[in-house]
Order: sequence, then structure tokens, then C-alpha cells
Amino acid sequence: MTEKLLDIFLGEAQELIVEIEKAVLLLEQNQQDEHGISAIFRAMHTLKGSSGMFGFEAVSGITHHLESIYQDIRDGARAMDANVLAITLKTLDHLRNLMQDPHLGDAGVRANHEQLLTAILSLEDAHTSHHTANNTAPASANTAQQRSYYIYILPHPAILRNGTNILYLVDDLLALGEGTALPFFHQIPELAAIAPDTSYMGFEVVLATTKKEEDIQEVFMFVESDCDITIKSLADGNILSAIGKHEQIQNRDVAAALGYEGIKALAAHPKKKISKADKARSAGINNAASIRVSSERLDDLMNLVSELVTTQARLSLFSGENDSTELSNISENIEKITRRLRDNAFTMSLVPLESIVVRFQRLVSDLSKELHKDIEFTAVGMDTKIDKSIIEKLTDPLLHILRNSIDHGIENPEERKRRNKSPKGKLQLRSYYSGGNVIIEIADDGAGIDLTKVKEKAIAKGLIDGHAALSEKELTDLIFLPGFSTASVITGVSGRGVGMDVVRRNVSDIRGEIDIATRAGEGTTFIIKLPLTLSILDGLLVKIGDTDFILPLTSVAKCYEVKTAALESSFNQLIQLDEKRLPFFFLRNDFAITDHKPELSQVILVSYDGQQVGLVFDRIEGEYQAVLKPLGEFYQRQNEFSGATILGNGNVALVLDPNKLIGKLIDHYKNQQRYEYAG
Amino acid sequence: MSKTIVVIDDSESIRELVGLTLESAGYSVEKGIDGKDALRLFDNREVNLVITDLNMPHIDGIALIREIRKMEAYSMVPILVLTTESQAAKKEEAKAAGATGWIVKPFVAEKLLAVVQKVIR
Amino acid sequence: MSTQAETLNSFLSFRLDDELFAANVGKVLEILEIPKITKVPRSPEYMRGVVNLRGNVLPVIDTRTKFGLPPTSDTVNSCILVLSIASAGKNITLGAVVDAVQEVMEIDNSAIQAVPSMGTRYKSEFIDGMVKLNDQFIMLLNLDLVFTSEEVFVLEEAAGSKN
Repeated sequence: MTEKLLDIFLGEAQELIVEIEKAVLLLEQNQQDEHGISAIFRAMHTLKGSSGMFGFEAVSGITHHLESIYQDIRDGARAMDANVLAITLKTLDHLRNLMQDPHLGDAGVRANHEQLLTAILSLEDAHTSHHTANNTAPASANTAQQRSYYIYILPHPAILRNGTNILYLVDDLLALGEGTALPFFHQIPELAAIAPDTSYMGFEVVLATTKKEEDIQEVFMFVESDCDITIKSLADGNILSAIGKHEQIQNRDVAAALGYEGIKALAAHPKKKISKADKARSAGINNAASIRVSSERLDDLMNLVSELVTTQARLSLFSGENDSTELSNISENIEKITRRLRDNAFTMSLVPLESIVVRFQRLVSDLSKELHKDIEFTAVGMDTKIDKSIIEKLTDPLLHILRNSIDHGIENPEERKRRNKSPKGKLQLRSYYSGGNVIIEIADDGAGIDLTKVKEKAIAKGLIDGHAALSEKELTDLIFLPGFSTASVITGVSGRGVGMDVVRRNVSDIRGEIDIATRAGEGTTFIIKLPLTLSILDGLLVKIGDTDFILPLTSVAKCYEVKTAALESSFNQLIQLDEKRLPFFFLRNDFAITDHKPELSQVILVSYDGQQVGLVFDRIEGEYQAVLKPLGEFYQRQNEFSGATILGNGNVALVLDPNKLIGKLIDHYKNQQRYEYAG
Repeated sequence: MSKTIVVIDDSESIRELVGLTLESAGYSVEKGIDGKDALRLFDNREVNLVITDLNMPHIDGIALIREIRKMEAYSMVPILVLTTESQAAKKEEAKAAGATGWIVKPFVAEKLLAVVQKVIR
Repeated sequence: MSTQAETLNSFLSFRLDDELFAANVGKVLEILEIPKITKVPRSPEYMRGVVNLRGNVLPVIDTRTKFGLPPTSDTVNSCILVLSIASAGKNITLGAVVDAVQEVMEIDNSAIQAVPSMGTRYKSEFIDGMVKLNDQFIMLLNLDLVFTSEEVFVLEEAAGSKN
């Protein structure tokens, strides 16, 4: 503790003592002066608090008891009397001494202290109210016995409104030992009714720990009144291995909790232990708790569910138009069931990431040998499940990032030793659910990205202006620009041709987002955020003329209303928005739609290869959760439309892939220009 | 970018001690002496955590929490209150007003940081 | 229709302009009135667009354009034949707009004549044969090929009919 802080404390204590003294003197004139009483209480309280913090225990001890007396007086639980005031004054004199001799080194001071304390305690005892002494937490003598617990957490919907982050609770729980957290949804409303500050999620945690139940409870100390919490012992020892890979867990339905009994049952009937080599084969083993269904029948089910979703949307549209309470009740009910059915069906088509990890392990071991790096590769959370079609398209970008981390991120053993790091580099692939998304992180503890070099390179390549003041985030994002060869910039090792721009495009093709967190000397983490499924898309419903389009919300940056005439008369396809000149596409022309031209058009900014491009529509109808349907073979070449969806009114809306659309339009105009120049 | 923590306490020593502890752990700290001061400190800046005393002149801790929760931008920011053991009822009152958790005085630096870690990462 | 669908020799005849065609009923899933069609921008002229077929997206081909006939607007008789055709080993479902559906008829194998190599504006591989009915020829279409090929009609004639 610094001298300065101590001085501040002593000065403040002095002031507080004077303050109390003044109030006591006033109270001697008028014992009922409420201001005086609460002033003493508050000052006493502050003095108690700060003296405790600064190691003046004698001060905090004595002020604690006196404060209690004043609190009772303030709360009307006891009456002020001359005796209290007299003792208070005596205490103040004593406190001044204590400030010089906090640890009662002087025998006189100590005697005085004990005498005063007895006097104050007798004052307290004379009164019925007795404040309990400090909690003495039982020292948890840990026997290293592991136990498995079932912990059920259902936060009340309003929990987020007091600043609680539920995921931290789960984190803290898992930090107590080894465990697995199973999220489930609870009473999730219709999309439009979802409030960002309301919690719809709960967790079931199976935790194997040597800690005591009190330690688990302590995690919830702040939220006991905001959550339904159940902590139950499942079994002695660690049962995670028994249930972690259990099919019931793997193919779990996130719409409902499994329950204590459910988990217990899983633990009681564990799948037989299988070695890693056997794992691949085990997919074929039939388990009593699950049945195998052909993917065609699953597709059929999905189609029926989609039909139901569409029909249900019509029903709610109809019920909205007809003022019948009963109808709207039924409609709402069907909507809820449909939603659950849909979530249920969709989770069935998800597969765990585990299926691709083997390829990564190979790559890491081959590449680290080739590049003479010593790398420990771990994969965590590979039981996270995601749409099969996403996994297929995820492999390439993940391989690329891993290669990047091994090649340019993690230093060679000598270099690492020089930097006081363990010669063995760490590379971790991590996956977990976050809301309706799956997050995949690739973290290395390598050199990190040198942002100064990134900037220099970007300037040299003409990608940015030399004077541009860029934030750290903007600087890291430069890596994703086409034409930015990351390799030579970051480490001086030659690059491999494919840039991070391709990785980002691949990720955005499956409607994901990619981010980088990097610290010089400490490492880099790539964070990929993916939708759980490609069959459902959160979109913006927009119109041109009579045609409905859906734009994925993830690609929408901003919307502006602009006069249609101004857009049409622009000869260079650039528009001034927020002091920036941005290229735009007047889609009416590109789509050859001529009906119902509006006076005002909507320019929607989407990001394309790191820059913003405007797409012009007539109207924005609102957000829409679309069930994606393929357009089929006949529209293979129109891949700027990733599919279609059926709206509540039965019309078909086309789902746009902005990246592909813009790419195609740019090519189109380039060719046209070439043609025009040639002619 | 380091997280910003607003520390409100009418005791300068506690304020400085808490501030120093947090700053040495890498947080940026803004300090205020009471609720009124706190509200002025907010002024649309990004705040990741508020640590406030309860007994304060003018706007007290409970009233401050209610005010913070009323502001849309801060309706979900974590708030920790500084309490003492004698104030069990106060904890509940603070929670009801919208506090996220509490730190019991007196505390040592490790304890303070541990509690802060519980609510922001 | 389902019982007749079993019979290989049942055909559904339909009209395009003033020409008559017939499709094996085994390939025809149903006949629809024309609903609202959503045109997919930047797609070929003969692709009318997509429609909602009970919650699924059905691509719809403008058969007139596909066959190189002059475009007209739809009439009360216009309808969509929902067809199941084989393409590269897969069955795909599509809709084909026709001017009018005539009738379902039984055709005896012996009544089917070979297609003359000259005198028809359609490439011969798309026509399985012809039958004569009430002094008019009905062309029996090879649906699998017709709707999966880029060019159905002979180009010279198409150019002639467009001008």
C-alpha cells in the first residue's frame, strides 16, 4: 500500500471523526435530530469500511458496534440517550489515539480500548436487537474425492436487466472442475417478441469436481434470487466420460432440459467404453436410446415441417386480420408448437464437429514437422453440432487458418525460448454455442499479428491512405482485404497464395462472420461465428415492384432513404452517404423490373470485400425469419439467389446472396465497359 | 481496449484504493464521489462495470442503481455494490433495484478482483 | 387419374398456340391454375419463375418460349402441368405453362407413327412419335429431354418465327 493512500485514509478518518463530533454536540442539544443521527451512522459506517480495508482492525471493530447502535436508533429500534452520546464522545477520543497506534501497542491504549468495547457491547446487549457476528465460512478441507453433480440453472427472464451474464455463471461452474454445460431454451417467444434484455435460456451442467457443494453454491451468490437453481449429487467420481459421448446428449433437443433423472439415467446406462480408434466405427453401433433414420426420410420430415411453418404463417396472418380472441389463441398455440417442432426437426440434421477434427490433427502434425515447430494441438467442444452442409464448407477455411497459425503464428522453439515462452506452442480449436450461433475459435499462443507492419504493408499496397487513423480493429481487418498477402507482412515467411480474403468469403458463403483478436507476442485467435443451420435465415424482407426479396441480416450494415430520381441520374454509380461516396447498384435496372417505380428508394449498405456497397430496393418490409428452399437445378446459374422462401401470404420471396450478386454485377459492368470502349 | 469501471464512493480512501487496485489489474477507472457525480460521469461513454457504495449523500447507492437502470444504454451494465456484513438487508434492496452483485467490506485486492471477474470478462 | 397413371399408354394432350402435344400421364403429377409467379431476375427468358406449391418452391417454365413460339399473355385456359422428369439420374419436379389442357387419352402403340426427319420445327430427339387424331397430328414429347436441354427448337425456324 502506498504512503499516499495511507495519508488519504488518515486525513479522511480525521475528518470523519470531526464530523461525528460535531453531530454529537448538536445531538446533545436535541436528541431527536434525525440529520445528526444519520450523519453519525453514515460517517461511522464509512470509517468502519475504510479502516477495515487499511488494516486498522481495532478501529473497524469498535466502529462496527457503535454503528449498529446508531443504525437501531436511526431505524427507530431504540431511543437515543445521553449514555450513548457520552460513549460516542469517549470513543472519538480513543479513535484519535488509535489512528496513531492502530495495533494497540501502547498498554494504555489497549486498556482503554477494551474498556470502551465492553461498555459499547453492554449498551448493545442491554438492547434486544443483536447483530450477528461475521460469518465464519467453514474452511473447506478438501478431500480430493471427486463427485459428479447435476446443476440446473433456469435464470428468470429479467435476469439480464441487472447486468448478469449467464454464461459467466456457467464458466465459473466449469472452472470448479471438469464438466459439460447443456443449454436449453425456455419459453422462447415469437421472433418479433424476443426482447434483447430477456433471458430465454437455461443450462444443465454436469460437473465433476473435488469441491464441495457450498463452493458450487457460491458461484450463484449474486443470482440466488434471480434463478431457479438445483444442485444435486449424481454419483461418486467422474461420470462425464460415461455420459459425455452419450447419444442422448449428442442428439439432444435444445428445446427442453433433460432433467436430473434424465442425466442420471444416462449415467446409469453408459455406452461401453470405446477407444479412439473405435470411435469412427461406433457411428454404426445401434443404441437402444436412438434409432437410425435415412437422410431422405429426414429431408421429408423437414419439408413437411417447412410446409407447416408456411401454413402456420398464413394462419397467423389470417388471425391477425380477423378479430377473434379464440382464433388468435389457437393460432398462437399452433405457432409455439410449430416452432418447437421445427427446432426439433432441425436439430436432427445437425452433426458434431468431431467428424472433421481428424483431418485437422493430421494437418497439424504434418505441418509442424515440415516447418520444424513443436506444437500441442487440442480440440475442445467438438461435440458442438452444426448443419452438415455447413461443416462441409467449413473445412477449407479452417484448414487455411490452422495452416496460417502454424506457419506464421507460432514461433519456432528457439525463438519461443528467447521470448521466455515454453518451446512447445499451443494451438487450440474450440467450439461452443452462443445464442443461436455456433462459435469456432482457433487460438495460438504465437507471435501475434504485428499491426504496425500490417499498416505499413497496407499503405505500400495502396490499400489505405497513409494518413488514415485506424483503430486496432480496423487494422486487423485489413488482413481480410483482397490483395493483402498476410504472410510476408507478419513474419517474413513466404506466403502461400491464398489470402485471408478467400477465407472470409468462404465463411460468409455459409453466412458466418470472422473476427481476429491478436496480441503482439501473446498470440492470435480467429473467431468464426456461424448459424446453427443454413435452412433458417434471419433476413430483411424487401421489395422491388411486385417482387419480394430477402436479404440476410448478417450482411446488412445500414439503410438510407434516397430519391429514386437522384439514383437514376447518377452517371458514375456513386452516391454520397454520410460524407462517403459509395458505389451502388440500382437493382431495378439489373433485375429488369419495371412496375410500380417509387419516388423514394431504399439504399441498403452491405459489405463486399471489406468495402460498403449500396443495393437499391423500393421498400423495406421488415425482418423475416425465412425457411430456405432451394431454387433447384433450373436456376443453378442464378447463384446470386441462394434460395427462396414462402411468405405468410403464400408468395415466393427470393433470397439474395449479396456477395455473389455484387461480384456478378461488377463483372457484368466491367465487361460492358470493355465492350463500350472497344466499340 | 481495456474495460472501463466507474467507482463511486464518498470515501476518498476507498475510492482511491479500489481505483488503484483495478488500475493495476489493467482496467481504466473513473471515480465519482456520489450518485450525482456518477450520473455526470456516465454521459454516454462506454461503461463496462459500476462499483458503488450504498451510503452516500445526495443520490444514494440504491437510487443511483435505479437511475442507471432507467438509461437504455446502461440497462444491462453490471453493477456491484460495496456493502458490509451488517447490511444483509441492503444487499437484497440493492438487488431488487437492479444490482448485479456485491463486495463485502473490508476486502483485499484479490477478493475485489475476483468479484469483478465474476461479472465482467 | 391415379389408376390411369399406371398405364403406360395414357397420354395427356395439351395445346400450345395451335399445335397439339401429349405427355405420358406417368410424368404428370397434377395440373394447377396459374398462381402468382415470382420471376427470378437474370434468368433465361423461358424460365417464368417460381411458384409456391404447397410450401415448396416449384420452378416454372414458359413452354411457349421454350418451344420458340411467340409469347402471349395467359388466358383462363392457361395452366401449369406439374411434371416429374428424370435428369442425370435424379427426379426433378417442374411446372410447365401450357395454353390449354385437352384430354387424357389411350393411345395404342400401333397408332404411333415415327417422326419425319423433315417438316417439324423441333429437334427430332425430343419427339418420341406422332399420332393423328381428327386430322391433326399430336406430338408425343420426350419430357425428360425437352425440359433439360438448352435448345429445343431448330434455330433457323425460331429466328424466322420471331421476326
